[in-house]
Amino acid sequence: MSTIISLYRANVKEFIRDRAALFWTFAFPIVFIVLFGLIYGGTNSVSYNVVVIDHDNTAISKQLVGVFNKVSAFKIKNESQSQANSDLKNGQLDMLIVIPAGFSAQINAKNPANPAQVQMFYDGSGNQTNAQVERQIVQEVLTGFNQSIAPYTPPVALNIQTISAKNLSTVDYLTPGIMAMALMQLGLFATVAPLVTLRQEQVLRRLGATPLPRWQLLASQILFRLTIGLLQCGLILWVSTTFFHVNIVGSPLLLLGLILLGAVMFISLGYLIASLARTVEAANGIATALNFPMMFLSGIFFPLAFLPAFLTPIVRALPLTYLADAFQQVAVGSVPQFSLLTDVLVLVGWIVVCTALSARLFKWE
Amino acid sequence: MATKSAASNISSASGTSSAIVAENLRKTYGSTKAVDGISLEVRHGEIFGMLGPNGAGKSTTIEMIEGLRAPDSGHIVVLGLAQPRDATAIKQRIGIQLQTTSLYPKLTVTEILDLFHKFYKNRKMLTTEDLIRIVDLDEKRNTRSKDLSGGQKQRLSVALALVNDPDIVFLDEPTTGMDPQARRQLWDVVLDLKSQGKTILLTTHYMEEAEKLCDRVAIVDHGHIIETGSPNELIHRYFSDTAIEFQDSQHAGLDAYRQLAGVSSVSGEDGRVLLYSSDVPRTMAALLERESGSNALRDLNVRTATLEDVFLKLTGRALRD
Repeated sequence: MSTIISLYRANVKEFIRDRAALFWTFAFPIVFIVLFGLIYGGTNSVSYNVVVIDHDNTAISKQLVGVFNKVSAFKIKNESQSQANSDLKNGQLDMLIVIPAGFSAQINAKNPANPAQVQMFYDGSGNQTNAQVERQIVQEVLTGFNQSIAPYTPPVALNIQTISAKNLSTVDYLTPGIMAMALMQLGLFATVAPLVTLRQEQVLRRLGATPLPRWQLLASQILFRLTIGLLQCGLILWVSTTFFHVNIVGSPLLLLGLILLGAVMFISLGYLIASLARTVEAANGIATALNFPMMFLSGIFFPLAFLPAFLTPIVRALPLTYLADAFQQVAVGSVPQFSLLTDVLVLVGWIVVCTALSARLFKWE
Repeated sequence: MATKSAASNISSASGTSSAIVAENLRKTYGSTKAVDGISLEVRHGEIFGMLGPNGAGKSTTIEMIEGLRAPDSGHIVVLGLAQPRDATAIKQRIGIQLQTTSLYPKLTVTEILDLFHKFYKNRKMLTTEDLIRIVDLDEKRNTRSKDLSGGQKQRLSVALALVNDPDIVFLDEPTTGMDPQARRQLWDVVLDLKSQGKTILLTTHYMEEAEKLCDRVAIVDHGHIIETGSPNELIHRYFSDTAIEFQDSQHAGLDAYRQLAGVSSVSGEDGRVLLYSSDVPRTMAALLERESGSNALRDLNVRTATLEDVFLKLTGRALRD
């Protein structure tokens, strides 16, 4: 154990004496938070002006109106349909939802060819990303609603928490994403190049000339990187909660577990890349090539709904998508893309695959 | 391939007299036979040198004995323990200096030495203070390893090889890249280790280093050991004669010198003539008579033969080309 601690301390000393590494590890994610925080401010929350018109006026349709009323991202206005139509055109209104007459009758008819419908109007010339978020929220509401009125289950109260229990500000949304990004870069940049350098400069070889068991070296390296990951996430959470009023709603223990899981996942990916790359240049090339798609296609800076559908297979292949989703739903309670169990299982799967391949492919000299 | 009985012969032979026994080592990289059937035996307490040009297979051989590389075939016994079976136990008792060592670049000399102490268990070790004194790095104790000069880095890497107060010290080209003063300093360190009873196996392509340090030398070329013996033995085995060397400004050709009294052999390169003579006074007289009146015999040098001459004679090539 004392050997692992000594190696761990050697890692720490090397790290804190490397100003560039310090900057990229700690300053870079904080710069993101501060920049976005200042641009969007703490109060600029995402909320939409919405009018809901109920032509059906039955118990079922009223239940649905009630659900829309509870969506905190929606500011429901009380207007006539014609007023709402003209407001939509002036940009006074973001969305008009109409429940047509006969809505509940169609539901009760249970004809799959002719399902009950809700109409949604929005300004197609306006901000497309807003429109997509609005559509997504309405879709979520209807999905939940459908489940609640399904005939083979007893009617249940809608769980609107999954829709978005609170107004998410931009910084709220970004904080978990930046944590996920920091852990990804811990694996891609703070693991791959240093490992390849240790091999290229024959440090691994020199250590191999002593009786030091390899697992102790490995344990010290992984412990060191887990520490860095925890410090990064801690710092990001501290800055965003202290200066930008981000409210962390999830269980701290669950969040800690997810941070460790994400860190292990990306460190194992780092070892796999270090197994494949022979030179530091190649290592950095692979890391950069993976960094960019993950940064922009994993829902870190904007919701996945903003991305065109043809990117979906890529989005679903990237491990960062699942880590960011897990962080977002646990830390700030945003709309989940996948269930938390799915996120965790995908991450564990990546860990198993990366570790198995690294164990086979990693070269010590 | 050695048979089982050959293997048991090695372990019985390794009992007390030999620190290292290597038998019929082979290592091939692609189509290159880096080591092609090398056998050697190093006795306790001696300095044994492998002398040869770059690429001769010295480093590969020493690394196979250290346990850092697996031989394709052959048997190795170190301190009565077999490689690779007892590799970890062997590593506890040997000290290894690698040809190129760069370590944690931002750690200081003291920090790196302290760290390496943790890798060895259950041994009486040399303290960091001892090590710094032995390799004379006191002024640099708090310098980060990346800021050390080439020679200082070499001395640090020798110190790392001594951390566990090893029974055998392996030094791979220990003075390469050092200035003459640092080289002499390191030679003193090596001789001092020998006086403490340690066994040393080193590789070098400096014949002066081999002559100065080694009790016995193996001359290695193209993955083979061509000759083994003490430097004096080797020189006298091949040269009872004295070397007479000079610049051939008359371009008379080598045959012209072969006829001179006492000359046993003649060779030359780049206009330089090298005669070996069994009777220096007669050869010199004949030479001076032949060259009288001219300003030939520039850079005349009369000397006893060296390992360099032995190497030249055995391989037809100079040691450093």
